[in-house]
Amino acid sequence: MKQTSDTFLENASAALADSGKSQRRDLLALFSPLMRDAAMGSFGQFEELRDHVRQVRQHSLDHLDHYLAQFEQQAAENGNRVHFASDGDAMNSIVLDICQEHRAQRIAKGKSMVTEETGLNDYLQRAGLSVMETDLGEYIIQQAGETPSHIVGPALHKSAAEVRELFLSRHDLGERDLGEIADLVGEARLVLREHFLKAEVGIIGSNALVAENGYSMLVTNEGNGDLCANLPKVLIICTTLDRILPRLEDATAMLRLLVRSATGQPQTCYTSFYSGPRRELDTDGPLETHIVLLDNRRSEILASDYREMLQCIRCGACLNHCPIYAGVGGHAYGWVYPGPMGSILTPLLTSLEQSTDLPNACTSCGRCGEVCPAGIPLPDLLRDLRHEESERKLSPTRWRWGLKMHAWLARQPRLYHALTAVGIFGMHLLGRRRGRFASLPMAAGWTSQRDFPAPQGKTFMQQYSALQRQQQAAADAGKRGGRSTRRPDPRRPGTRRQDATRKAPAGTGKRAHPGGPRGKKPRRRTGDE
Amino acid sequence: MNNSARSEIFARLRHACQSAEAENIQRALPPTDSAPGAPLPSDDLATAFLTNVLKNQGTVECVANRSAAVKALADYVYRHFRSHRLVAGNDANLAAMPWREAGVLPRFGAIEPGEPVALSYALLGIAETGATALQTGKANPAVNNFLSEHHLVLVDSSRLVATMEQAWARIRQEMNKSGRPRGYNFIAGPSSTGDIEGQLVYGAHGPRNWHVILMGDIAATALEDARALAGK
Amino acid sequence: MSNPSKEQTSQRDPLRVSLFVTCLADLFRPSVAFASIRLLEQAGCVVEVPGQQTCCGQPAYNTGDYATSVPLARQLIAQFESADYVVAPSGSCAGMICHHYPTLLEGEWRERARRLAAKTFELTTFLNDIARLKRGDRPAVKLPAVTYHDSCAGLRELGIKQQPRALLRELCDTEVKELRQTEVCCGFGGTFCAKMPEISGKMVGDKLANALATEASILAGGDLGCLLNIAGRASRSGAAIEVRHIAELLCGDLDSPAIGEPERQ
Ligand code: SF4
Repeated sequence: MKQTSDTFLENASAALADSGKSQRRDLLALFSPLMRDAAMGSFGQFEELRDHVRQVRQHSLDHLDHYLAQFEQQAAENGNRVHFASDGDAMNSIVLDICQEHRAQRIAKGKSMVTEETGLNDYLQRAGLSVMETDLGEYIIQQAGETPSHIVGPALHKSAAEVRELFLSRHDLGERDLGEIADLVGEARLVLREHFLKAEVGIIGSNALVAENGYSMLVTNEGNGDLCANLPKVLIICTTLDRILPRLEDATAMLRLLVRSATGQPQTCYTSFYSGPRRELDTDGPLETHIVLLDNRRSEILASDYREMLQCIRCGACLNHCPIYAGVGGHAYGWVYPGPMGSILTPLLTSLEQSTDLPNACTSCGRCGEVCPAGIPLPDLLRDLRHEESERKLSPTRWRWGLKMHAWLARQPRLYHALTAVGIFGMHLLGRRRGRFASLPMAAGWTSQRDFPAPQGKTFMQQYSALQRQQQAAADAGKRGGRSTRRPDPRRPGTRRQDATRKAPAGTGKRAHPGGPRGKKPRRRTGDE
Repeated sequence: MNNSARSEIFARLRHACQSAEAENIQRALPPTDSAPGAPLPSDDLATAFLTNVLKNQGTVECVANRSAAVKALADYVYRHFRSHRLVAGNDANLAAMPWREAGVLPRFGAIEPGEPVALSYALLGIAETGATALQTGKANPAVNNFLSEHHLVLVDSSRLVATMEQAWARIRQEMNKSGRPRGYNFIAGPSSTGDIEGQLVYGAHGPRNWHVILMGDIAATALEDARALAGK
Repeated sequence: MSNPSKEQTSQRDPLRVSLFVTCLADLFRPSVAFASIRLLEQAGCVVEVPGQQTCCGQPAYNTGDYATSVPLARQLIAQFESADYVVAPSGSCAGMICHHYPTLLEGEWRERARRLAAKTFELTTFLNDIARLKRGDRPAVKLPAVTYHDSCAGLRELGIKQQPRALLRELCDTEVKELRQTEVCCGFGGTFCAKMPEISGKMVGDKLANALATEASILAGGDLGCLLNIAGRASRSGAAIEVRHIAELLCGDLDSPAIGEPERQ
């Protein structure tokens, strides 16, 4: 897949300008979190289960060499041929070899983000094979010549009307209505049934690989993946090494979180575990099965500080909860994986240089980390990537130096307070009439979208130290005059009326400070006074 | 080339992983029972199962014994197709049903194009998920689960379990006895999709209807309670 | 340090609080700091403002420049660690201290950061949960309809949700008119709003629209970053809603101009 992550800002800008799509994204961003919350609410023990799943995932990754070897051995015992692919090209060529070995022409494909990552469809089609996506969402975008905008609902960026247009133009089925979404689903069912029955090779992904007995878990609502896994004579499972889990129970414990996080359902319609080719007495099922295990830098990630990213179970919750994803949509991210998980995976699986904007497409709001069922500290990983950009000087020099200067100044408190006092008061004088700035040379990004509120007046530190000096002077005068300073009673604060009658603190010079404590002096009290 | 990829990958993994004895790895693995399951909608297992089947958009019936089961099956097929034709896998449990009593006899085997109804005999029914677990093989060709329009599943109440963990425990016993089947299908609803505008529509690629018949000694109020709990 | 509960404290033994003003309040909205002091005093605290304080280091930290934020973190720890309590009128600054310092720093400094984190609170949390400011402690305040923006850092790093609402109820007899998608970010995000202005603009536009839909006349919040952002958007689009910090509202300070409003004549 051609990567356009380097033009994220332009992509985003174009996406924001498309108001129809933008509204649809807003609706999804409103409803998907509600569905997820309702599902987790009735489940009740999200945190406990998340803890468990995270521990199991971490354990599996800590001992991935062990579990992968176990899986390989078990899968081979079950009659599979297990292949290893270091990168996407290797996976593609392994798959093509298998297809050619069987002189296969027609491929039925279940939903698989891994094969999006490797660009398998293009690769097979260039070799003259016909590849049909069978997941409805994938089918729609394949027909439209697009890429997925979401890892769970790849065609959610399209309206029903667009899908209708697409089907009318792509399916030669004569006059028909297709007014309802159900009609569209029905038509896809009809068209795709043919392909299922004719396909010679089925290709699916896997949601989990069970090390103890070599089973592979497949989770769908449509049942398309199961048709791909059961009808064609040859089955190829394309997946990655990090999908390994030790036990069957681990796969279904994870599933409890996966489904609720992804769609808000308590359970998907079809959860299948496949072990290999048909058994001796079986009347159906593939005669030959292959499992292709892709690395594509995952072993590097495992050795890096980003290891936790491999715990991802591809539920899409972080996308659904990310306000930036909601704003710009999946395509703006410019590669296979969008949203928070994509902003981490894309730099790691491609390069940080090609995707410098992605880790910055984040306000650190933390919503993704809050809902991630795999317990991945997504905001921390995104910040760590920004750290790497700053270390490797990939971030704009202006920003890097600006922040360093600010920090340097903040480490000289006297100078900081003196300079900010001058600067802020200057800004105040310039802005007080309108209360805001419509444009500021140093903050063009800010003022392109909103005003910049003017500062109230003198800085707090300036006002506060003036008050303290006053107080000190009063205390000194009091001592000389033999009077004791008034001791404040913390239990009986003054009323507003009383406050208002007292003298205002030094403000802008003209009047009591507008936002000040309305005359009440902040007091520094000590216990031994 | 494949072999070299394999050894390279394993070398990289070993570099990144903590090396440990298999035994110690086993010991460090969190126990399966630290994973909480979903709360059951009812203390009664049958009621809980039926409730979740209904919530999964399945339809349900309860029957006391095998005679009632064949009668219910015959009625279902007749109601929908004005015929008594259905397909079932070569399952000894199904073969032994008193079909004659209801005037139906399934064709035993794998579903063929044009045959709309398939019957399966469930390995287990799982209350937590409202799913019926089916095992692929001669007794239940997987195509019967996925290519039928109406998928009927007969569940013996003795085969109900509460959680997925319990389901796996039962399945492991079977596996130890008779080996690993090619596949397990946990079915929890008619085929559906939310891929267009996120709107859930039934009848995507698989069956449009999923009908569960729970057979055995079931509390008389189970079905009624389940309907109330599921809001149906 | 043991956290003395209010019951144990007497007039002789008030809670001693060091106020971390935060750089945004210091520069742009001193009234927030004055209001904070006043509220703390109303709750019976003795307030001290360490004079050398500047910035907690968040801007550099969030952009990933850890090396630059470390000296600032250490500086703040050294300035505040002798306090009994540290209170800041900002969820994100308190979150920086409580949540991020202990992971940013190492060795001896990590220990010191942990100790500081244990006694550092965001203002509304401190007033509501520790100092337990009650209506009897101070004159009553009447407010027009208020909606509340939950700032992300406060909400998710410190669990600030009901505290400001409880205080508004207790001290001002005001129920918050909740805005739709209240837990969604306003698009401020520190340098984010300047680096990705269009996306940030969309987010703050949505936030403002949701706030206006509540028909509240005031939007309150606990973080000046968010409030400057929302206020700037409100004034740009001529929206009739005042944006104010929760500390000012709890003090009943409605006379001073709201954020981004011109001085009143
Ligand atoms: S990062 Fe977490 S929330 Fe995002 S897709 Fe992966 S598991 Fe789901």
